[in-house]
Amino acid sequence: MSSSVLGIDVQDGLDISGVIYTYLPVKNVVDDFTVTVQAKHADTGFIFQDTEDWSGLPAIRIKKALALPYTPVSLFGESAIVTTGTGTIEDASVIYMYRFDTCYDPQNDPGCPGYIPPVPKIPKIDFYDALEDEFVEMALEETDSDLIEDKEMKETDEEEEDEERLEVAFAATSNALTIANTATQASVLDAINKATNFNSYYIAQIPGKIYQETIVLPDSRLPDNRKVFRSLAKDTLMNQMIEEQYK
Amino acid sequence: MKKLITIFLVMGISGCALLMPKKAEADTSISGSIESRCTVNTDTAGYYGNPSANTLTTLPASNGQVPIVRIDTTLANAYKAQISYPTSFSSSPSLSDSVTWSGAVAVVQTSVSGMSAYQAASTVTNGGAMRVYNLTLAGTTWFSVSSQALYGGGQAKPFPGGSYTAVVVAECVAQ
Repeated sequence: MSSSVLGIDVQDGLDISGVIYTYLPVKNVVDDFTVTVQAKHADTGFIFQDTEDWSGLPAIRIKKALALPYTPVSLFGESAIVTTGTGTIEDASVIYMYRFDTCYDPQNDPGCPGYIPPVPKIPKIDFYDALEDEFVEMALEETDSDLIEDKEMKETDEEEEDEERLEVAFAATSNALTIANTATQASVLDAINKATNFNSYYIAQIPGKIYQETIVLPDSRLPDNRKVFRSLAKDTLMNQMIEEQYK
Repeated sequence: MKKLITIFLVMGISGCALLMPKKAEADTSISGSIESRCTVNTDTAGYYGNPSANTLTTLPASNGQVPIVRIDTTLANAYKAQISYPTSFSSSPSLSDSVTWSGAVAVVQTSVSGMSAYQAASTVTNGGAMRVYNLTLAGTTWFSVSSQALYGGGQAKPFPGGSYTAVVVAECVAQ
């Protein structure tokens, strides 16, 4: 007997105690006609079999209740309404009466005698180890370092060469201006010295006095020269120099 | 001496006879009860529909309800069912005209196929209002009792407004 027939879950502790069936036979009075409502035993034979003989009788709706000894539902096999003779049945219904012993399995209800508080099962948790992850391993695998280093070295060399060119350019400009300024100042001083008597300055006496510091340089954040830091942090130039001696 | 003894003996017996009661008696009761093996129940209560002003009927088509009476017997061939449709109102407004009653009693459902023969074997009495069924089989039989009341004695007068009640009588009588 399935759950769809019973309307509840088939499980231990469910006992069938009776059957109520009804149907309307359709037949002629003179015809022979029998109707049997039955339920097979799960093993062999029948749990119940009830036959009504309508032969020679007028058709009228029948409604019948059959009492059964408490029978575990698991013993019920296939149920059927079987007819013989000339006639049919309409609007048939078979209803099973049942009881459910909730304490058949004491674990169904904490109030049942013999109930044992269940020990929760500790679920097995698979820990994720990133170091064993195949994708992580693939990502950590050493690749062709020569290609990467060559590319980095090439880019670094180009940047350094650009910087050096700029520095040289700035230095040349600065030197030119300095030289020019120096020459100009010297000529100016020379002209002044020619026109001015500096003796009074040479004999001048400066009265003793304590000069207090009046200029205060407030603290401020002096940023690191990242470019230098990056340049010094790389061994590329050093390695290049070392390799140069073996060429 | 012998004569004296005889006198005493006669007096003694007479004295004993005077002291003893005339008779001894006791009341011993015997009790018992009988549980009916035939019961009558109302499965479905009926009510009247009012399809027209002068008609009250239990027909479902007229918004009525046919009452269903169930009779259970656990003993075959011991009882007969006597079921009557109403022939008067048990309560109603004051009626100045006559009411024409009609109805029918029928077996509508059984618990044993053999009971389907009850209807054909039944008899009617009391002017057709009462139908008698011999309950030859143990089990349950359901009877329907339809009823119709027409007011006005054939002149189709409207029923006075109010509440009307009629009673179906169903009895289980020993054969």
